[in-house]
Amino acid sequence: MTEIRRLLPETGIMSGPTSVERLTERGFERAMARAMLMTPSDIIAEVSQSGIKGRGGAAFPTGLKWSMVSQAPGAQKYVVMNADESELGTFKDRVLLEQDPLGPLSGLVIAAHAVGARKAFCYIRGEYREVEQVLAAAIETLRRVGLVGPDTVEVEIRRGAGAYIAGEETALFNSIEGMRPEPRVKPPFPTNKGLWGSPTLIQNVETLANVAVLFAHDVEWFKAYGTKDTPGTKLVALSGHIHRPGVYEVPFGTPVADILNAPELGGSVAGTGRLGAVLLGGAAGTFLNAAEVQNTLLDYPSLSKVGASIGSGAMMVFDDTVDLTWVLTKMARFFAEESCGQCVPCRIGTRRILEIAESGNLWSRTQDLRELGQAMRDASICGLGQTAPLALLSALDRPELRHHD
Amino acid sequence: MDTQNSAVYQVVSALLEDLPRERAQLLPALWRVAESEGYLSQDAMEAVSKILGVPSAEVFGVASFYSLFEGEEGRVPVYICTDVMCALQGAQNLKDAAEKSAVNRPIAVKESACLGQCDHAPAAWIGGKVLRRASPEEVKTAVTEVRHD
Ligand SMILES: Cc1cc2nc3c(=O)[nH]c(=O)nc-3n(C[C@H](O)[C@H](O)[C@H](O)COP(=O)(O)O)c2cc1C
Ligand code: SF4
Ligand code: FES
Repeated sequence: MTEIRRLLPETGIMSGPTSVERLTERGFERAMARAMLMTPSDIIAEVSQSGIKGRGGAAFPTGLKWSMVSQAPGAQKYVVMNADESELGTFKDRVLLEQDPLGPLSGLVIAAHAVGARKAFCYIRGEYREVEQVLAAAIETLRRVGLVGPDTVEVEIRRGAGAYIAGEETALFNSIEGMRPEPRVKPPFPTNKGLWGSPTLIQNVETLANVAVLFAHDVEWFKAYGTKDTPGTKLVALSGHIHRPGVYEVPFGTPVADILNAPELGGSVAGTGRLGAVLLGGAAGTFLNAAEVQNTLLDYPSLSKVGASIGSGAMMVFDDTVDLTWVLTKMARFFAEESCGQCVPCRIGTRRILEIAESGNLWSRTQDLRELGQAMRDASICGLGQTAPLALLSALDRPELRHHD
Repeated sequence: MDTQNSAVYQVVSALLEDLPRERAQLLPALWRVAESEGYLSQDAMEAVSKILGVPSAEVFGVASFYSLFEGEEGRVPVYICTDVMCALQGAQNLKDAAEKSAVNRPIAVKESACLGQCDHAPAAWIGGKVLRRASPEEVKTAVTEVRHD
């Protein structure tokens, strides 16, 4: 079980992360040159064949999204890199941008070419100020070699200002447009009506990095790792009670237990050394118990058997002393504070969950919570309200995780 | 109030000089003012409203949505992450240290949700810089060195 390095640069790479040499050394120059010689429809076909799915959480097929934007009527189109990364336990886009910002940016340039956009935005969370500087230097490098600019695509950084909801794609558009970052009702989808009502392609940082390494090589190379269902590699962010917290790149299909335990990956559970639970995918993710961790692979079909998904790739590790009621209460407070308040099921629902958590009745009011969760899933406008109850419900489904002392 | 001639208007106007006069520049404009002045005053937001041609109620509405704009006059915010992963690694000690060093200083200690630094928990965000695997001592030093002019 070794770590793969494709999205992350090889250890010991000599060139600076924002240097022109890095473009050559990582094959991004080649990737962009190859894509620029292809027709947009050939580029999109290659992205589709690669099987890349969105790495921001929803795992939507990337090639399909590109063809929707490319076919949407409209002279003006936009592409956006979503670097808002504010999900609990999630820091892989930060590490990617610190170590290899030219990768995601090359993916962005290729995306613009494929869908016919002349303007791109990188939306980065306000707390990533140091990362923003790296990103700006990398954009300058691309400008110097003529890959960014008025004749190709203009790239502008937009800095968020501390709002979790602004990472939701339509809220992010409102933020860029100078409105309150409240999600819009979908449909229409961004592929048809995004920024200023124009077709807009929005992708996660890691998704764009996948595009860059794909075009630096080819589909066959890309599919050498991963599963039939999900080719390629995934960045996972390990934190909590783990000996080697950090970001690791592993092929889809890697056993979840190996990610935690392999000496070159997580290096085994810290704290008491006994695993209590793993929260997979962020605050809107799923708790796995120790047995499930033993029996699942990092892939969508395997995880769906235990009702889980990969989400952002966050893996938060808790030893057997952590009281999950405390964790759930903290997360309930987070959602209640971050709900934009636009729609009733989410505004009221997140409050109710918090009240129940604070009154200490989480584990006895499971039926009420399930019904509330269902209503939020069915009737909320955006992903925040729809997914806010998920982690909680996953814990209630696993009563063995309840802490007794 | 004769906004156009006020000192605040002059300052804001100079800060936004090269920004296109359009709604889409509202967030960048608010950032410039907040960074230069340390916080967003009522008068400064009025000035942004005039300069960009955005109704002032909407400028307030946008600014108040974002937690990084909640600085107040003479109180520089410092952020301690107290979210789950940092709480497991001793965030409370950092918060206590920050609060102690903030006494009698123009500093507001704020709790932050996950800063995206959980691999280096506990984390803090002080003066635009991230403190990773921070000790109470480091937080104390960083809080004491925060600029507030
Ligand atoms: C509340 C909320 C927050 C989100 N935050 C992010 C984020 O920080 N980064 C991100 O890439 N996607 C985020 N998303 C998902 C985006 O809406 C969108 O699906 C994604 O950027 C698409 O890119 P992908 O297809 O490459 O994954 C968020 C969604 C929701 C509902
Ligand atoms: S689901 Fe929640 S966050 Fe999303 S639009 Fe409704 S109130 Fe706002
Ligand atoms: S929980 Fe503190 S940085 Fe993530």
